[in-house]
Amino acid sequence: MWTPRFCLKWGPQLKQLRAAVASTQLRAISARIVNDSFIVVQPESEGSAGSESLTYPGVWLRDNCSCSECFHASSQSRRLDWDNFDASVRPQHLHTDADTQEIHVRWSDSHVSSYSLQWLRERSFKDQRQRNYLDDFYRPRTHHWRGADFEHVAQRFDYGDVMHDDRALRDWLQALAVYGVALIGGAPIDKGVVRQLAERVGFIRRTTYGEEFIVQAKPGAKNFAYLSDPLPLHTDLPYYEYKPSVNILHCMVQTESRGGSNLLVDAFHIADRLRAEHPEDFERLKETPVDWNDIGSEDGREFHNIWRSPVICLDGDGRYTRINHSVPQRDSHFNVPLDQVLPWYESYARFVRMARADAHSFKTQPGDVLTFNNIRLLHGRTGYDDTEENSRYIVGAYLDWDIIYSRLRVLKKKLPPA
Amino acid sequence: MFQSLCRKTQVLCTRRVREQWVRSFMVELQPVEQIVLVREKQDHNGPTMQFPGIWLRDNCLCDACFHRNSLSRLPHGWNNFDTKVKVQDLSVNVEQETLHINWSDAHRSEYPLEWLRERDFSSANRQRYLSHSYRPESQHWSGDQFQNILQKFEYRDLVSRDDTLAEWLRTLAIYGVALIKNSPLDIGVVKTLCNRVGFIRRTTYGEEFSVKSQPGAKNYSYLAEPLPLHTDMPYFEYKPSLTILHTLEQSVSQGGWNLLADAFYVADLLREKHPEEFEVLSRTRVDWADIGMDNGVSFHNIWRAPVINLDADGNYARINHSVPQRDSHFSIPVQRVQPWYEANALFVRLAQEQAVSFKTTPGDVLTFNNLRMVHGRTGYDDTELNVRHIVGGFVDWDIAYSRLRVLQKQQQQQQQQRLRQQQQLQGQKQVESKLLSQVQ
Ligand SMILES: [Zn+2]
Ligand SMILES: [Zn+2]
Repeated sequence: MWTPRFCLKWGPQLKQLRAAVASTQLRAISARIVNDSFIVVQPESEGSAGSESLTYPGVWLRDNCSCSECFHASSQSRRLDWDNFDASVRPQHLHTDADTQEIHVRWSDSHVSSYSLQWLRERSFKDQRQRNYLDDFYRPRTHHWRGADFEHVAQRFDYGDVMHDDRALRDWLQALAVYGVALIGGAPIDKGVVRQLAERVGFIRRTTYGEEFIVQAKPGAKNFAYLSDPLPLHTDLPYYEYKPSVNILHCMVQTESRGGSNLLVDAFHIADRLRAEHPEDFERLKETPVDWNDIGSEDGREFHNIWRSPVICLDGDGRYTRINHSVPQRDSHFNVPLDQVLPWYESYARFVRMARADAHSFKTQPGDVLTFNNIRLLHGRTGYDDTEENSRYIVGAYLDWDIIYSRLRVLKKKLPPA
Repeated sequence: MFQSLCRKTQVLCTRRVREQWVRSFMVELQPVEQIVLVREKQDHNGPTMQFPGIWLRDNCLCDACFHRNSLSRLPHGWNNFDTKVKVQDLSVNVEQETLHINWSDAHRSEYPLEWLRERDFSSANRQRYLSHSYRPESQHWSGDQFQNILQKFEYRDLVSRDDTLAEWLRTLAIYGVALIKNSPLDIGVVKTLCNRVGFIRRTTYGEEFSVKSQPGAKNYSYLAEPLPLHTDMPYFEYKPSLTILHTLEQSVSQGGWNLLADAFYVADLLREKHPEEFEVLSRTRVDWADIGMDNGVSFHNIWRAPVINLDADGNYARINHSVPQRDSHFSIPVQRVQPWYEANALFVRLAQEQAVSFKTTPGDVLTFNNLRMVHGRTGYDDTELNVRHIVGGFVDWDIAYSRLRVLQKQQQQQQQQRLRQQQQLQGQKQVESKLLSQVQ
């Protein structure tokens, strides 16, 4: 089945390749079938890089036909009948159109499809093109940093700019994605700031503890983070499979005592160093599942969260997907064979030592919003004296990467490149 | 005191628990490995519990090491945690049923036997903990078995009884599907159920969603055309876990049937009979995408992940499948494309073969694991007189498992309490009958 739109275009010269005709601005385009299944497209421009040949698997082209029968334009999604999809479908005839810069394919299932050169280029299977797409558009590639480099990598943005200028919003999110940390200054001393920022991106990620949370000294509080003792390095909520991705911490009141400084470490950098300098420790920390947990109640509701996952988590390509570290939220249940316990402790103690040695400390001021990647950075705080005249008041919330990356992609499509 | 390092150190303690039997327990240190052995000697062949010394030190329960309010380890000890710490000597308190350890760092710790029992490192105990307290083990089912595994719950019970709530969550964890009957025809039912578990999972599309035939709608699922098998929102790294679909109105036309298949079972079939295709589907990362706008906000969601996602142990973590939400970008080497298509077509064929169909009626709430089930719907004619209206929402597994653990613990405590009461009652009766016989 094919739509009349294509019937009209399909002339008697089916197999012929049409060369550029109308004007000199038009570039010729040719295409051929290779090995009965691939389609190789050859754009012909004057010697530039744009003339490289592009190879596409036929089955993929058939699957991505954009006619209204196969593709639902308003939802931008495939509607092809996959219940009856024939993976052995083959291209039978090709036809190129220099006027429209399109190629037309007739398939062994007698369907006919059209593809614009532009669309094809954006989906080329060339390694370099794919890498650019993945490392820029999909999820920007991360740059790992030493604590000593903090001042160079931690970019500062203005709250007003981020709220009103899409370019500032894009740059903030890009910095967060690449470096895992960014500071926003000049925010009003208002409890709504965190929500406004989150909603500028998308929406707050809710947890067992609700949406916004307040960090201040509250003796006898249920959660450890409310004490004004020093708070050693950790990641938040490692006991979730869906660990909240980015912390937004708005400093409303800062203690004037010597303490209360923020500590930050790029744990991807620590992992890089372990990988290079202590491969056995790296191996153990990425292989040994640890039980992370949180037991308690919030607003009268009990919870018992557990997630089992290594300290260093890698994806199939060996890239870091997540770091888990929290002394208080590591369960006393440890579900590994007995003989793995001591070696794991030794490796973990090394990780903690290296992270502590690399931690950068700085102190936010009222109106500062510290934002960082909770999947990647360890954060902590030095202790401080909390009195009625000398308090510290932080409002926080989380955002998830799914939502942040989506926003960043939309902005990148909309705005001219930075 | 335990001076001799070459010989295993032993402490044997006995205690008369009730008149009927004597419980004893014994602790022992393997000094080289620094492993503490604890044996309860109700009979002499009782199993031996094993605990690494370093783990015991790390999990000291004293006020300097453990924060009782938040039930969590105080972190400061880890500023300079000494992995060379050794057990200096150990003893037991028979009355308290506690193990006491003096450490080489001059610290002293105390562990209740009960606490130790729960954390024993034996493989059997770890297995028990993982499948009971952590996450119940899933059981995969073929289409033929659907009628046997499908459990139905009364809405009223679910919102009022904790044991029903626990059973529903356990059923979802094990079988991935459960049906709730006789809920009110009220738009708030989905939210009520989500709040009963914890809270609703928000997505780019908001919280509750309404599935109703809406010609020209932006999302494919609003059309009354057939909706082939799929999982929802594969384009999120944090894919919504549990789908809750409340039928408010059902089309009286022939169509509008639910389709459902256990994709873990389909993956089992592939693994067993088509290992190459299984390999391809579990290794090839696919670009899943959703581009659009909701409430005036544009989004462009992408997540790259295979169709079959395995965890480190080779267990299924997640299935991704959606024809409309598979991106035309396919970021893999060109030679791997054709084999992937063949494998995916096989997966789809097998899923169709295993799919069951049924039609919910108003008041039904269909709930299933969106990381595991593929679901769909047959087409239907939607007219003004013949509408179909479903309200849906999501809950995440993090939240659902947490709730299940809390409920299971409550149930366990209630059971223990009942048992104690029974024992007391029996004891009283025995005493009474003894007295009675003495009197006689
Ligand atoms: Zn088509
Ligand atoms: Zn202690």
